Amino acid sequence: MTFVQVMILATIALVIFLYGLIINLQKWGTGVTGYGLEPQEGKKGSAITFLKTWWKQVTAESHHGHGKPILEVLILDIIFQRRILKRSSFRWIMHLFIFGGWMTLFALSGLMFSVEMIEKIGIELPFTTEVFRDWLSIPNYIFGYILLIGVLIALVRRLFVSEVREASIMYDWVLIGVIFLVTISGFIADGIRTGFIWSLGLDPSAAPPAALFHSIFSLFFCIAFIPYSKYIHVIATPLAILANKGGE
Amino acid sequence: MAKRTPSIDTKNLTAVQLMELDSCVRCGECLKWCPTYAASGQKPGLAPRDKILRWKQFMNKSYGFKARLFGPQEISQSELEEFKDDVYGCTTCGVCGTVCEAGINTVELWEALRTNLVKKGIGPYGKLGATAKAIKQYHNAYLLDQKDRLAWVPSDVKIADKADIVYFTGCTAGYKQLSLAFATSRVLNKLGIKFAMLGEDEWCCGSNPLRTGQIGYEDVSREAARHNVEALQKKGAKKVLFACAGCFRAAKVDWPRLLGKELPFEVVHVTEFLAGLIKQDKIKWEKSINKTVTYHDPCHLGRHVGVFDAPRYVLSHIPGIKFVEMDRIKEFQRCCGAGGGVKAGMGDLAVAIGEARVKDALETHADILSSACPFCKRNLSDGRDALKADIVVEDVIELVAEALGLSTT
Repeated sequence: MTFVQVMILATIALVIFLYGLIINLQKWGTGVTGYGLEPQEGKKGSAITFLKTWWKQVTAESHHGHGKPILEVLILDIIFQRRILKRSSFRWIMHLFIFGGWMTLFALSGLMFSVEMIEKIGIELPFTTEVFRDWLSIPNYIFGYILLIGVLIALVRRLFVSEVREASIMYDWVLIGVIFLVTISGFIADGIRTGFIWSLGLDPSAAPPAALFHSIFSLFFCIAFIPYSKYIHVIATPLAILANKGGE
Repeated sequence: MAKRTPSIDTKNLTAVQLMELDSCVRCGECLKWCPTYAASGQKPGLAPRDKILRWKQFMNKSYGFKARLFGPQEISQSELEEFKDDVYGCTTCGVCGTVCEAGINTVELWEALRTNLVKKGIGPYGKLGATAKAIKQYHNAYLLDQKDRLAWVPSDVKIADKADIVYFTGCTAGYKQLSLAFATSRVLNKLGIKFAMLGEDEWCCGSNPLRTGQIGYEDVSREAARHNVEALQKKGAKKVLFACAGCFRAAKVDWPRLLGKELPFEVVHVTEFLAGLIKQDKIKWEKSINKTVTYHDPCHLGRHVGVFDAPRYVLSHIPGIKFVEMDRIKEFQRCCGAGGGVKAGMGDLAVAIGEARVKDALETHADILSSACPFCKRNLSDGRDALKADIVVEDVIELVAEALGLSTT
């Protein structure tokens, strides 16, 4: 029953995400296709226009001589986040922890989901889903803590560094608040299931609803919500860095 | 009820630039470096990230999710006017782009936003609109006669009718800051470099309309680029020398893009040319300067195009010069305050930025604050005067002329 519920909710979350993404692509697609141009009369913004313009810029030669090779940009500027490191090693650690933790947990969840799906459709694996969940337990904890440390740094920074706090708006707070809640709810759900420190003394019978809450919260706030919030930067920033060939 | 239309449009903003608005993570790094934000006493509206946030909100009100469901939300004229003032309160120096964690090409974003507002009839700021008209009519921003383009040329300067090397003077050096033109032409003569000039056929490089969002004004910049390229070709140019960083940037970056093709000649800043001659041991210095000199990177020569080393190489090879660096240099330099129409549109803000840069120079205890751009020289001099500071502001080419025993008057 829970699996079916989660599947339905996951589908809904994905649809909301895709709809929002298309709206954003269309919004960006209202722009012109090149330097000094005007939009075509009566033409609505389209995702295709955006994608074509973006690709044209990615593959075009830089007019400023600042361009770096795509592979270098991909590895150093997007995965390794060199531009943040150049500005602040503290912020770099914070962001890399959030980015690395979030992405890895997302991948591990995807892996777990795949195994569950394989089992559901009747393909026999040399291990059960329970065994596989146990295997993922340690990496889940490691990357969960990495994410938590990153989020805590971000929260402390926004709360206690006056220039950051004063400049923060709801747009910024929602981003951090949501990740914090997702991370904590994940730890609590797993803690109740395993009886470890994050259980908050709750009975193991509370594990399924806690896991369901964590799953729903994650699906809607870490996936569906992306195109409608500051989370959009997880899509737009890598695309901008690639389009500008690593930036100046 | 008639369907509401968005209060803004996306003219001149590319699809990638609209995406860049959503890539800003509001890290605040741009605030730490922005020279106008600092010189204005940290006016919030001048902060680059604030401008990005506001246009993003305008976009969402006009084309976002809610606009799709319920129709576009109106953006008041006063909001747009205020936004225009803030977008023009920027020298387009580009340091915000250099430090931007999202790699946003901010210079082009500000220029595109300005152009968009101009096309909407909201921009440009103040009297900046007159400049594009002047360039269209007079082919220079100073409303001066083209026949006087070479009126400054002293009798001792030899200019060839045609040559492989052509010196593109620029309106400011050719009409206003003649010492730069004297220095450049005499240095070239002294070094035995045969060079030609365009004279009446030299039109404004077109930089000003581009920087101030007036690219659309009667195609003035494209027309200027086309004319200058053809005129330079007729002079036989294989290499075109620029002593003005603004013209250099326009020729190097804007002309090929406006014309949609590579230029048929090499675009070289005079400091690059001189650095090459020094490396070949072709310069015999005649005089020692015996001063401590620091160097201010013009945005249009340094950050926008990447020429950082040549001016330093030249300065450090002039006999007697003790070269010292300021704290903020090269791609992280603080703008002089003259660029992006700020000098013409918001004089007080420009001088305040100039003062900040002169203070940077004073910290080095240099005798001379040098640069390689007439606009930088002018605004740094104004900043120096406002501070009543005891420091000389001189262009690199003037120091070269002096070390070669040449007059710049």
